[in-house]
Amino acid sequence: MMAVRPDIRLDDSPMVPVTCVRCGADVQVRKSSWNQTSVQWTGSALERCEERCTAGQLAASGGRGLFLACSALRDSIMDAVRVGTLSVVDDTL
Amino acid sequence: MTTHSEADEVRLIEAGSLPTRFARGWHCLGLVRDFSDGKPHQINAFGQKLVVFRSGDGAINVLDGYCRHMGGDLSQGTVKGNEIACPFHDWRWGGDGKCKLVPYSKRTPRLARTASWPTLEQDGMLFVWNDPERNAPPADVTIPRIEGAGSDDWTDWHWYTTVVHTNCREIIDNVVDMAHFFYIHGSLPTHFKNIFEGTVATQYMNSAGRPDIGEPGETQMLGTTSVASYYGPSFMIDDLTYHYTNVDHHTVLINCHYPIDANSFVLQYGIIVKKSAELPDDLAMQTAIGLGDFVKMGFEQDVEIWRNKTRIDNPLLVEEDGPVYQLRRWYEQFYVDVADVTPDMVDRFEFELDTTQPTAAWMKEVEANLATQKAASGSVGG
Repeated sequence: MMAVRPDIRLDDSPMVPVTCVRCGADVQVRKSSWNQTSVQWTGSALERCEERCTAGQLAASGGRGLFLACSALRDSIMDAVRVGTLSVVDDTL
Repeated sequence: MTTHSEADEVRLIEAGSLPTRFARGWHCLGLVRDFSDGKPHQINAFGQKLVVFRSGDGAINVLDGYCRHMGGDLSQGTVKGNEIACPFHDWRWGGDGKCKLVPYSKRTPRLARTASWPTLEQDGMLFVWNDPERNAPPADVTIPRIEGAGSDDWTDWHWYTTVVHTNCREIIDNVVDMAHFFYIHGSLPTHFKNIFEGTVATQYMNSAGRPDIGEPGETQMLGTTSVASYYGPSFMIDDLTYHYTNVDHHTVLINCHYPIDANSFVLQYGIIVKKSAELPDDLAMQTAIGLGDFVKMGFEQDVEIWRNKTRIDNPLLVEEDGPVYQLRRWYEQFYVDVADVTPDMVDRFEFELDTTQPTAAWMKEVEANLATQKAASGSVGG
């Protein structure tokens, strides 16, 4: 078995919790720059996400069911940057 | 004498060991039409020799290649009715893996079974389900239908198969490797995002054309839009659109493989192209073949790298690299028992790459190339 290793880029700047202002889902987020974002979901966060649930209901059966992003979470992440609970790695250099 | 501080210690490459098992999941063995001639076909996969045959009832069956009697090679045998007959003593084996008849014996060992693989025929392709635990494929682990396949509005498959001599994790890494698309494949990514969730790993990529590459006078491609997902460990569907000044060409590119053993795999691609007013039947098929040559060249560029590179479990990454570690964490789920799949392997993970810096650097390279080309043609003409 291969060992699962953590991303070495998290050593100096780990992911931090962000809560979605709309549904309250808790995810882990990291931004290395204004335009780069990593989001780690959990099963329970995904169940809470309203846009995700709606997308699932709208998806045709047998379709590929790809879900790109939740806009409310994206806004929540931007808010977290503005209020300083999420720092952008670029800015800390 | 210099002493090295911790800060300038040499970074060592860790390669670990190759996996000792083969991934659980659906694997495409090729096009159904290539297995439908009523003859047995030998396939080397999952560290074994398999026999694939279409039986009289129309089903395509996949069995272990060796007869349980005296070890004859069933792929050298003959299809008789619904069974494969061994060339050594004519023992007959059904698609369910059971011994059906020993023509020279009073009694058939009906309880004797050989290994059989669940199969799926879909959109012109043949799939086998590999599972080291030998469980049936779960209903929710499927290969999605491809809308254009088999439709009159699209071309037939243009298919290509080749053997690559490295572990198949190398090709999986391409899902997240944004920068190699510029350096190896001559494209210019402008948008790049990965999403992993459950058994699906997706790459969203937009790229710009390369005015510095290609023949003068060739129609300049403006760019591509690509949504490419691995459904399970080995089968990728890429909805790939090529943009030109006045028209878009819609294509579906399959990029799939199955392991021969830990050090080699069979790589396959398939292409269908949507027909249109600009691309009627013949022209659409020519486009599929032309794109196929382009994709083949891309694979050859990858293979050349793989042939010489080392396996690396601890890649050194910059922020403009994709989520290599998270991709491998996702990929690991296929190499452990179902009971050992952990939430972090399957939980949704999104990674949007910032292409600002890479794109700026590459545009400079493109401009420098164009200037060099212009200077060269100027001096020739001049």
